[in-house]
Amino acid sequence: MTNSRSIFLVIFSCLLVLAAARGTNAQSQTFDISSGGQPTITGALGGSVSGSASALNDLVVTINFGEVSPANGNGVVKVVVPVAVRSRQPYMVTVSVTGSANVNPSAIQLTDIGFGVSNMRPLGGKAQICSNSSHLIYTPFGNDPSTSFTLNASGRVAYTSDLADISGATTILSGPKLTQGTSTSRRDDDAWVFDAVLVIVPQYFAPGNASATLTFNISSGPNVQC
Amino acid sequence: MNRTLSNLKRAGFVVALLIAAAASASAQTNTGSVAMSATVSKFVEIQSGGAVTLTGNSGGGVGTDGSAGQPLGVSINLGELGPSNASSFVTATVPLRLKSNAAYVLSVSATVSSTGSTANKITAADIGFGLGAVTRSGTGVNASGTDTNATSGDPTLAANGSVNGATGRYEFTATRSNLGAFTTSTTALSGSYIMNAVPRSNNNGLNVPAVFAVKPQFFENGSTNINVTFTVTAP
Repeated sequence: MTNSRSIFLVIFSCLLVLAAARGTNAQSQTFDISSGGQPTITGALGGSVSGSASALNDLVVTINFGEVSPANGNGVVKVVVPVAVRSRQPYMVTVSVTGSANVNPSAIQLTDIGFGVSNMRPLGGKAQICSNSSHLIYTPFGNDPSTSFTLNASGRVAYTSDLADISGATTILSGPKLTQGTSTSRRDDDAWVFDAVLVIVPQYFAPGNASATLTFNISSGPNVQC
Repeated sequence: MNRTLSNLKRAGFVVALLIAAAASASAQTNTGSVAMSATVSKFVEIQSGGAVTLTGNSGGGVGTDGSAGQPLGVSINLGELGPSNASSFVTATVPLRLKSNAAYVLSVSATVSSTGSTANKITAADIGFGLGAVTRSGTGVNASGTDTNATSGDPTLAANGSVNGATGRYEFTATRSNLGAFTTSTTALSGSYIMNAVPRSNNNGLNVPAVFAVKPQFFENGSTNINVTFTVTAP
């Protein structure tokens, strides 16, 4: 009986250590994305945005742009989502979009949601400052869509960059390593943060609802020197 | 010896638990998500389509005029409507502009009150009314949309009125050709959505003139007030 119990404890402990080892592998991965701060929304009528303000938490943001018919008298509904990124080697950030296609051309399309990236900045003293390479925001995403839109020949708002510019996993950012040291845990002072800016100008869209989801991913990028 | 071995086993088990807990508590990830949604409700509006025109009047004039793209609120003095006004009709044309992102209905309701006390006073039936030609044009307008005019158009058209052979009084006889048909809110125009996806600042829309006409006659002397309310909805 005592032997059986001992054998069970040994086997169970080994399994726990193996499981922990797998977790440690995940923990010590080279790349990380998290919240970069509290997301904000302006110009909304009945809209909201939720997400964690802490850079220690995962990036999970829910945006409700609210009413975007002309009933919303604001010029633009703007959401700013700070995104924190960490890496110990050169990186790139990609984004992909999923959402139901709207067959009615007067309804909200991916082209009606402006999307830009801006304001790349270090977060805390453990963020890696590199002098030999800079962080590159890829064309056409380096703009604030709330100020860079125009009207096309049909009178519809056209953005410098929008969600229709995302095809598959589209690279929006790359650069040298982002994080100092070799620590394997996520900290609130060892990242870089950029703003993902999402915009809708209220228009005479066809009535209805629209939804889409953006997925950000960080992985190994072009090999540039720090 | 046995006791020591047992304690070692227990210690090993606790360490394994701690390692597992630490590993799971600070897991990093290389992905993040942003879920978005938005709502578009039905939206309609009515505006002035431009300046009012008044013809055939003797005296009177346009008090508060219309201005294209501005809220609709005009006042018109039709002037003298007795036989001293030799014009065939006193006609006021009020341009209307409608916008919508959904099928719309334009309703009209009118009140007419005269100081007279006899059957010869001006009544709602003496105020000819109709909506003229509908135009959908300009950038951002759904030019292929269709509209149904429930009025008979310009009330001064010969087909829309005549002198009553029995009474001698001029009457607007066509369907919904006078304000007597609009003493309660009544549909005057309806149709499909007007605007494509463009901002509210777009100055185009569906334009239609509202035409009011009075045939000068031997009405009982006095004064008359006419109030007409246009309402657009998206049922």
